Amino acid sequence: MHRRHPEIDPQLLSETDEQRQLRTVLRDLYAEASGIEEVRKHLATPRGYDEALWARLAGEIGVHGLAIPEEYGGSGFTFAELAVALEESGRALYCAPLLPTVVLAAHALLLSGDRTACERYLPRIADGTLTATVAGFGPDGRSGGSREPAVTAEQGSNGWVLCGRADFVLDGAGAELVLVRAGTPAGPRIFACEPAPGTCLRTPRRVLDETRRQALVEFRGAPATAVGTAEQAEGAVSATLDTGRAALAAEQVGGSGHALGATVAFVAQRHQFGRPIGSFQAVKHRLADVLVALEAARSGSAYATACAAIASPQLPVAACAAAVVCSETFRMATAEYVQLHGGIGFTWEHPAHLYVRRARGAEVLFGTADQHRTRLAGLVGLAPRPAA
Amino acid sequence: MSGIPEPDEFRAEARTWLAGVARPRATGGEWGSGSDSVAVFENWTEEQEREHTARVQEWERTRYDQGWSALNWPQEYGGRSLPAYYEQLYRGEEAAFDVPHRPEIFPVTQALVAPAIGLWGTEEQKSRWLVPMLRTDELACQLFSETEAGSDLAAVRTRAVREGDDAWVLTGHKVWTSGARVATWGVAVCHTDPDVRKHAGITVFLVRMDAPGVTVRPIRQMTGGTSFNEVYLDGVRVPDTDRLGPVGEGWRVTLSVLAAERLDSGSLGLDNADRALDLAGNLSRPLTGGEQQRAADLHLRTLVQRLMGLRVTAALVAGREPGAEASVGKLYATETMRRTSDLVSELLGPSLVADTGEWGTYAWTEHLLGAPGYSIAGGTDEIQRTILAERVLGLPKEPVR
Repeated sequence: MHRRHPEIDPQLLSETDEQRQLRTVLRDLYAEASGIEEVRKHLATPRGYDEALWARLAGEIGVHGLAIPEEYGGSGFTFAELAVALEESGRALYCAPLLPTVVLAAHALLLSGDRTACERYLPRIADGTLTATVAGFGPDGRSGGSREPAVTAEQGSNGWVLCGRADFVLDGAGAELVLVRAGTPAGPRIFACEPAPGTCLRTPRRVLDETRRQALVEFRGAPATAVGTAEQAEGAVSATLDTGRAALAAEQVGGSGHALGATVAFVAQRHQFGRPIGSFQAVKHRLADVLVALEAARSGSAYATACAAIASPQLPVAACAAAVVCSETFRMATAEYVQLHGGIGFTWEHPAHLYVRRARGAEVLFGTADQHRTRLAGLVGLAPRPAA
Repeated sequence: MSGIPEPDEFRAEARTWLAGVARPRATGGEWGSGSDSVAVFENWTEEQEREHTARVQEWERTRYDQGWSALNWPQEYGGRSLPAYYEQLYRGEEAAFDVPHRPEIFPVTQALVAPAIGLWGTEEQKSRWLVPMLRTDELACQLFSETEAGSDLAAVRTRAVREGDDAWVLTGHKVWTSGARVATWGVAVCHTDPDVRKHAGITVFLVRMDAPGVTVRPIRQMTGGTSFNEVYLDGVRVPDTDRLGPVGEGWRVTLSVLAAERLDSGSLGLDNADRALDLAGNLSRPLTGGEQQRAADLHLRTLVQRLMGLRVTAALVAGREPGAEASVGKLYATETMRRTSDLVSELLGPSLVADTGEWGTYAWTEHLLGAPGYSIAGGTDEIQRTILAERVLGLPKEPVR
């Protein structure tokens, strides 16, 4: 088949009945237990999210274990079911560290192929008793795109210890487990580190999007265990990031869906000049453009999700495409969310800015749009050819 | 009655049949050889149009006679009563074979006019028209737009006046008709009652294109070529038996034709976008950073556009009505066409606008100048946006003044 055609069974782009039920359950739960006022309230707590709801999601619904195999305490569904949960979480702006824990850390463990590490950590991720994240996986935006790890691992008398720093670590100040990509003489490897105050300095960053905390993590001889082999490490890191992009795309679709829905509802009831502002063509056409963008984002996200669910070799292309189109859509949908609400949309009290912050934060989380396009160009043969 | 075959089984069957009647399409071919045409609208002389139409008709008859056309129609009309998306499944397979490219008059006849006849026609009309149209022995063009009735189609001025009990006389001037030179029938939207509010006074007729009083003249569009026609109706006598749908109900008949037109525009522009990406990959110099960004962006756009199409198919296969993904296709596609022009302009620079004779360069002017037509034809981008806002998002209509 031509390489520009999606390589996927179209049925995988369509929601199953089970997925639809999960969506309904979660949408109801978030509406009941995690409205925007609850989100604001929990942002101000030390851990930054509703820990009781976290436990309910893991226990009652089993969100955390959806994409974790049964042998590691999960329910053995696929990434497609997890993506439904993430879309609904993104729609509600649920601010717990689902992305770093159940997507990034869980998939880094799974993709590492290290059974011992999986057995040790995945059951606790699945049951909601462990929060986790990854560090040093992506270029941190300061290293000029260098893939040289900023953290190094050395074999001491009592095992591996980590030194160096990783910035922009999601939930870096709170996560109980950090999977770190660190350099060793045999090349970069993944390490599991349970941070302790003496050997790991964690400084929360002030962040634009408070629903997604980040921290600078400095390892000062932090004890760690190697996860997987050096040979598999870079592949696992790259696949983890692509899975993260697919997950983020699903969240972005959810957030965009909220922005469009809330704006449509508002312009239909807000009257100016004696008529609903939604009856003005200028307003209608802007929202029609958001709808077109949202359908594009849904399509890109569905493809990335399907590729992640079946571990397709197309995942890198699909993840890049989804990252670009879903970031663009979320940015546009939230900009219209503010604009079409007029003055009220510019207030602190209105939720629109929380979504703007989420959108701006998300679009640079796993690389910028330019970086995704550059990578895509390389993957599909559009890279600049080296001058002869 | 046999049951409905599974999609995979059906596709395999289609492939087997196609392999017996058509040659596989030469894959890719050498870049730099073969046709470099990227025309958005066909640009034929009348003779070329007739020749090509005859070739397509021959293929369509083979398809129909051997049971691979009219798939969603009942057996009495030569079909197999399959769900509508089996046509898409068939097309997916057909794309791999070297069969003549169908100009617009064919989908207009088979996918727009025939279904409207199926919906609105009398039993006599159905038995007289459907088989010849599905088999493309008869071709039908749309006599819809007028100079004063574009987006506001219900403002048509073409009048149909009763002559006795069994005939009407049509007078008016229609524009932007594709295929009028080869069509045997024209579907004319006319005013029959000037005394009622505009939508209520409309009636639809099928007009013989060779009837006395019908004059077809080509319109030269901004590409320089002629792909459309204007059609003059000067006192054309039409028997009442060729009226489609009740008198005064023509607006609903028209809408059912237009609704079919808006679907299936999802794959618009993809061929040329692919060609532009091939151009980017085959340039004799390295792409600049900006060009690479633009090309990657177009690449992911074609991917997403195809995914939207697959989602529509997937919904239909699952027995669900597709949602918004089915209605946003045309707007997404016209943007793809614009971005294709923009990328090509970056890539080719001066050799796009001055003909050096080099293969695959100046030929792109056909795309550049043709692409804007699709943002107008079949409902302008602005009309599409209004439709999306009102029918999909449910926003209030403009107040009636």
